[in-house]
Amino acid sequence: MSQASAALPVASGRETAREVWRLSRGHRLRLAAVGVLGIVSTAVNVIPPLIIGFLVDRVRAGTADLGTVAMVTVAMVLSAVLGAAGTAVTIVLATRVYHTILAGLREQLVSRAMTLPQHLVERAGTGDLISRTSDDVTAVADAAPAVIPALTVTAFTIVVSLGGLAALEWPYAVAFAVVLPVYVLVMRWYLRIGPRVYAAERAAMSARAQQILESQRGYATVLGLGLTEQRHRSVLAASWGVAVWTLRARAVGVMLSIRLNFGECLSLATVLVVGFVLIDADMSTVGAATAAMLLVLRLLGPVNELVFVVNDLQSALASLSRMIGVATIPKEVGEPSATATAGVAVRLNNIAFRYGDGPRLFDNLTLDIPTGQRTAVVGASGAGKTTLAAVIAGIHLPENGTVAQPGRTTLITQETHVFVGTLRDNLTLGAPTATDDDIHTALDATGAAGLLDLLPDGLNTMVGTGGHPLTDAQAQQLALTRLLLADPELAILDEATAEAGSTHAGLLDRAADAVLHGRTGLVIAHRLSQAATCDRIVVMELGRIIESGTHDELVAAGGVYGVLWSAWEAGRSMNNKVGRTGS
Amino acid sequence: MPPSIPPPDREDLSQLGRGPLTRWIPLTLQAPADPPEVQSFAADPETTSGRFLLRVILSVRRVTVPAALAATLWQVGEAAVPVVMGLAIDRALATGDAGQLVLWIGVLMGLYVVLTAAAKFAIQLTAYAIQLLQHRLRSTLSTGVLHPVAGGAHAPDGSVVSLMTNDVGRMANGVQLVIMPIARVVTIGFIAVSLLTTHWILGLAVLVGAPVAVWLMGVLSERLSRDTREYQGLLATTVGLATDVVAGYRVVKGIRAETEATRRYQQASQETLVGAKRNAGLLGRFLMGSGVVTGVFVAAVMGLAGWFAVDGQLSIGELIAAVGLAQALLPQIQSIANDSIPNLAGSRASSARILDALQAEAAVASESDDAVPPPVTQLPVLEISTPTTTIRIEPGELVGVRTDDVTAARVAEALLDPREAGSEVAVRLDGIAAGELSAQEYRARVTFTPHRVTLFSGTIRDNLTATAAAPELVTAAVRAAACDDFAADLDLPVGADGNRFSGGQLQRLALARALASDAPILVLHDPTTAVDSVTEHTIAERLRAVRAGRSTLLITSSPALLNSCDRVVDLLEDAPVRVGRSS
Repeated sequence: MSQASAALPVASGRETAREVWRLSRGHRLRLAAVGVLGIVSTAVNVIPPLIIGFLVDRVRAGTADLGTVAMVTVAMVLSAVLGAAGTAVTIVLATRVYHTILAGLREQLVSRAMTLPQHLVERAGTGDLISRTSDDVTAVADAAPAVIPALTVTAFTIVVSLGGLAALEWPYAVAFAVVLPVYVLVMRWYLRIGPRVYAAERAAMSARAQQILESQRGYATVLGLGLTEQRHRSVLAASWGVAVWTLRARAVGVMLSIRLNFGECLSLATVLVVGFVLIDADMSTVGAATAAMLLVLRLLGPVNELVFVVNDLQSALASLSRMIGVATIPKEVGEPSATATAGVAVRLNNIAFRYGDGPRLFDNLTLDIPTGQRTAVVGASGAGKTTLAAVIAGIHLPENGTVAQPGRTTLITQETHVFVGTLRDNLTLGAPTATDDDIHTALDATGAAGLLDLLPDGLNTMVGTGGHPLTDAQAQQLALTRLLLADPELAILDEATAEAGSTHAGLLDRAADAVLHGRTGLVIAHRLSQAATCDRIVVMELGRIIESGTHDELVAAGGVYGVLWSAWEAGRSMNNKVGRTGS
Repeated sequence: MPPSIPPPDREDLSQLGRGPLTRWIPLTLQAPADPPEVQSFAADPETTSGRFLLRVILSVRRVTVPAALAATLWQVGEAAVPVVMGLAIDRALATGDAGQLVLWIGVLMGLYVVLTAAAKFAIQLTAYAIQLLQHRLRSTLSTGVLHPVAGGAHAPDGSVVSLMTNDVGRMANGVQLVIMPIARVVTIGFIAVSLLTTHWILGLAVLVGAPVAVWLMGVLSERLSRDTREYQGLLATTVGLATDVVAGYRVVKGIRAETEATRRYQQASQETLVGAKRNAGLLGRFLMGSGVVTGVFVAAVMGLAGWFAVDGQLSIGELIAAVGLAQALLPQIQSIANDSIPNLAGSRASSARILDALQAEAAVASESDDAVPPPVTQLPVLEISTPTTTIRIEPGELVGVRTDDVTAARVAEALLDPREAGSEVAVRLDGIAAGELSAQEYRARVTFTPHRVTLFSGTIRDNLTATAAAPELVTAAVRAAACDDFAADLDLPVGADGNRFSGGQLQRLALARALASDAPILVLHDPTTAVDSVTEHTIAERLRAVRAGRSTLLITSSPALLNSCDRVVDLLEDAPVRVGRSS
């Protein structure tokens, strides 16, 4: 298997364009309407300067009367109203299509992200996926107010105004066009510099948020270890880091403005010179020169806007290609999976496994788990227990050898996650059709029914980030109940009751017991008392299975397990030896 | 290929954005590398949010006054551009006088130089003022809410992150209200006066019309920005949901709930789409409304000027200038309505939220004891009294306490912040109630390690030396906490939230950090719940040696840890029990 490209893919420009075109299906008529309306309404917006030019010429010639003034005023009001209406409708239509396509894309993205083979995601890190489903989605959505007018109204305004200038006298348009290369140069300069500064500013901002978040989450640690002053300094350093970059970014923005102002001044001077020459040659009127000046003044805004927007547009496109990169990962053709033998739920046959290019963790590992039995895995950290669980769950693919497991295999680990939503939403995640009765039965079975009394709105209580806080033990109880409702054939518990702290251990052990009842179970045991209740115990060391048998067999054999067990027993007997002394 | 742009480093920073032509220009108005010393803003109970906002934005007058002056010059300069162009057309183009053409192009260029320089200072000074205020507000919140020296009224919840990023940003943006609107009002006045000198009715029309137009557009933009905030809230929820689902990726995969998780995301995404479409509709109404208001206003001024020109009361030059001035009025009106009015609303709302948080805490923490307490020369006796019993830790003892979760949590809370009123648990040092000691005196004696682990971003070493008085303490602590197997390289970064380590490794690092403090009295709350039994055994064996000559209290029910104690107080029995170490 190639390990070269660990990161999730990013779509190329062509792939992005193709996917956006595909997603626009069903909206193309509306997009055509946006184009037509955009051109018409910007054309209407060009009328007022032309009218003013006309009025100036009439007044100069002395042929204007109050009727002319009234007509001109009415025409200006009409064009203002029609132009505003046209622009508004264009932008509304375009914005709606934009957001509809974006919604489709983000749903496709999350759906694909959820069905990706887990080993792909684990290799790239969930952080990459999180940033694509959050930062990138936000970046594309937030770009809408800048990008949409730029792509519709502003771009058309430039084209139409140039047309208007040409309609007055063609040299005016040529004069403006001569200045355009200045803008192209400015834009290229900006694209080289701007994105880097803004990227640095954003990076400083996330570092700042991270520092604040750490102090907040670690409040007890900060207070208990007396780190208040140090943390205050760290937060302030991160805060000032943003200031440094923001001021730098503002300076770059100012440099851009200086260059754009230079372009503006050049365009206006050019209009004056061209007007002077044309009027001198009797090829243009003072009114036409006035209209040209007003048109150029109107043009400058949109041109500057386009230069500023290019940066947003670019970062939105980068985000878009990152979203599309994941959303269009082709679905893999069904992976070959070994078929299970009757009576054996899991069969690992000569498994070899390593993480990336790391050292080989398993070599020729073979293990059978009989259907309906409960097997425990015991060993020190680094023995490979969690990796074994992940291989059996199908999260990691072995380098060599075959794995057979039931279709409905579930794994829960120490890592609990309470999803944002109601308690009911959380419990029914693996069993969407479960009724409230099913939920109550499951809560009773795992001994978590008491949890409902502690929550203000019972099953309807909002939990997860921002909701009612749950302790680690409660979150794990919830996870075990969720597993029970999902009703799998094989349940793997990877130290699922370890986070309980000391006193909840018994409670969670009972919950785990209920979950495993009547199905095949694999328990990565943390406390030996858990292992002792299993049908079979497997002891691992450095990726190998060194002992295997029932609790009594292993204790009698006096091997590694036997030694661990006596140490455990010694600790436990402490509490039996306590004598009373009174206080 | 990942598209993320690497942020430039500090060296690079000084040259960024400057080409061969501009390299020699000194970079002005940049932030110094180190954060400035800032004082907290006072937030006494009588302060209202309006007064607080005023106090904050008026606190940097040495920056805002020059910024407002520069901004005024800039905006008046912008308004003068159409006037100069009108005059140039009237004096040079209409007359065919080449000398006049050169003169007016010179005036135009001079005007651009002045307004560009003024813009540079205005923009950069404003950005500097905003950053300075943000930093000072963040510092105020950091000491007041995030890191209260003596412990706050309650631990800061997740909202403090949004408070210290979004609200601080929005409130600091309020400082623009004493810069840009002033410049714009002055500019509108300048335009009105210029028109007054050409014709008093034109001036009057602007003086009356401009405020009406600002008011009308302000109403429109208020409604839009309110809805935009609502829509952004919806978008944030959807994005948050995606983040939440992806953060719980392993859990979703573990129980095979991919389809259900995707369905739930789609539902939220569609609700956001409805919000986005509604917001687009409101944007359309706003564009329509503001286009009509400004268009009609300009048409009215134009009509009046045209009428006076026909009537012979205005020259052609004055007509063109009037048209240009009316044109220059538009951006001023639009900016006040679209930027300043929403800015005022936003910064007031944020000011209220920040003030609430500060006032809630100000009631609790008041004493300021900057004096560094003398070093602790003699180990004090620690006594912890629960309603049923008293636990007494003699100097140099290693005592274990086994108790239920609820009592453990109460004892932990009391040890973390002994001055909290209403606690059922009393803490005494050498017979003196801990609440009577200053926060510094207490922390110099008692170090408390909470069960929940938080590592701070940086390297392992950064985390371990945060508490350590001497470097050799770190080495001993790393060994005692059995971190030597995975933390051989102390310069490895720990990753965001310590995500490079497993739960057990995190607990061992946190234990090492606590041990490195060499605190006179160290309290450890369930320090090894996620550590495997073999490693826990090792830690238990090493703990005594590293804490020799110091007092240690272990709140745990781990048999291995309890076994290593001098005494165990077992609160799970009916009456307090003490045992001697079985030797």
